[in-house]
Amino acid sequence: MALSRLFIANRGEIALRVLRAAQALNLETVIGVSDADRDSMAARLADRRLVLGPGPAAKSYLDARLVVQAARASGCDALHPGYGFLSERAELARLCAEHGITFVGPEADMIEALGDKLRAREMAAAAGVPLVPGSGEIASAADARRIADDIGYPVLLKAAAGGGGRGMVIVNAPDEIEAGFHRASAEALAAFNDGTLFMERFVPEARHVEVQLVGDGKGQVVHFGERDCSVQRRYQKVIEEAPCVAMPGTLRAKLHEAAVNLAKSVHYRNAGTAEFLYDVMRGEIYFIEVNARIQVEHPVSEMVTGRDLVQEQLRVAGGEGLSVTQDDVVLTGHAIECRINAEDPNRDFVPVPGTVTRWRPPEGEGIRLDSHIREGASIPPFYDSMIGKLIVHAETRDAAIDRLIGALDRFEVEGVPTTIPLHREVLRDEHFRTNRIHTRWLEQDLFAAQRMAAE
Amino acid sequence: MSGNDPLADLERLIEEFKHSGLRELHARCGDLEVYLSQESGASGLDAPRVSVSAPASGAVAGAAPVAPASPSDAPPAAAPERDWPENASLVRAPYLGTFYRAPKPGSPPYVEIGASVSADTEVCLVEVMKLFTAVRAGTEGRVAEVLASDGELVSAGQPLFVILPE
Repeated sequence: MALSRLFIANRGEIALRVLRAAQALNLETVIGVSDADRDSMAARLADRRLVLGPGPAAKSYLDARLVVQAARASGCDALHPGYGFLSERAELARLCAEHGITFVGPEADMIEALGDKLRAREMAAAAGVPLVPGSGEIASAADARRIADDIGYPVLLKAAAGGGGRGMVIVNAPDEIEAGFHRASAEALAAFNDGTLFMERFVPEARHVEVQLVGDGKGQVVHFGERDCSVQRRYQKVIEEAPCVAMPGTLRAKLHEAAVNLAKSVHYRNAGTAEFLYDVMRGEIYFIEVNARIQVEHPVSEMVTGRDLVQEQLRVAGGEGLSVTQDDVVLTGHAIECRINAEDPNRDFVPVPGTVTRWRPPEGEGIRLDSHIREGASIPPFYDSMIGKLIVHAETRDAAIDRLIGALDRFEVEGVPTTIPLHREVLRDEHFRTNRIHTRWLEQDLFAAQRMAAE
Repeated sequence: MSGNDPLADLERLIEEFKHSGLRELHARCGDLEVYLSQESGASGLDAPRVSVSAPASGAVAGAAPVAPASPSDAPPAAAPERDWPENASLVRAPYLGTFYRAPKPGSPPYVEIGASVSADTEVCLVEVMKLFTAVRAGTEGRVAEVLASDGELVSAGQPLFVILPE
């Protein structure tokens, strides 16, 4: 059931990335874009472009019925959702199935199960994957207090339906638990229409480590190593790298095994990521969640394995299975990616839409740029602020840092402010260089040091 | 006018302004007000105003809101600088983005016309690229007018509410 014509239901750099993978597999491509993106690079390069609706995403990229109708009307037999937008909405997978279109992703039921963090935890527990000490659903503030006493403070209250840091509250002591419970519950209800909470032990200095997986839906799962995404701002990843050299080899092997076991136990189909917290002090890993999509930071895994994950994703969707076995996947060197956003670092990273008047990306050995931007491109105000990802590959982490600094120094962008200065600063920081960082390091330490220097 | 693609029109105006040799440009047409400056330290719409008439092409009018119900198809000509009462305070958009009157879809608006507000009262949300900012009244008084409609694209510094003293 090989695919022949692919509908790309996304925009920006990932639309272009999917387009190129599809072209490499000789698939015809149709892209559905909003009016604001009608002249975007992916829209120009696709075999056919359909305008779904006006700029606001609710009327274009987020309208599942519209998207599936467009795919059907253009004779597509498969649909790739990219990341964000509808990529992890069971509704889209279901509509595709109803209309005989192959969804490049897991089955609708699997998306639903993995999207519910409590159910995902249960699956992980069943597969023997280590979990951070925590609870199931919490019924009340009193219940929360009893569980927290059991787990030990500090604890983290989390929304069962959550993501992106919303509905998440850290509680340091018993006298804060009641207020914390009500705040997290209200936030969760407002953000996800579901106030259900659970609790985990809070690990103050954790690294975020995740395993790249591809499963064929029949029980075959291959991992492509792990990524370390510990440089974060407001729970958003800023810099990602592979491999996680901060982790001892034996623990890395355990991490890969846990992730693969989890995906195998549910016959996972699609590219996916199992996310873990790495408690450096205790030397332990704890499962967080599975992201059932291709992720923004997938290129670092591609750089160290030499494999094309989006092509693998298309292959398993089409029923052809993986092109590689685990033994074929060999990790070489070190890769680092930084996300370049149209944001103003001097104004608390406010996103800035506009027109890119100058765009001179660096080129050279070991440098890759995933971006849809060219000179004159407009950055509409309706979508997220990422305008590109700069990725480097070198023999060692040190060499990769040096290569990325050099590449960023040569990167010329005008028309909108970008986060390039932030990346240059992080990469030059001694803590980053010596790899003594954790997920709150950027905000808690580096930004605080900047403020002190400014005073 | 070419109101089909408001963003492109706004972009074109910005491009034209860049090459015009003008230092500042402040234009308004209907609901839309644009302030452009070549000076990096310019203080936006609070700066002394240099009035420049809108280009004959009516590009500015095309940059009016994208919401379907918006009056963006109004004739571009003769949109006079509107005079606010002496004692009026304006609540302006902090940046270019989408204007929302309610905290989330289906909720009642933050404020209605006639509502009493204090400086800290949140009156609307402006969202750009997933960043939501709650905008406060900034002054005490009563909401006399709402100048933008829900879901509309507003530009930086565009007046959103008129607040009059009680």
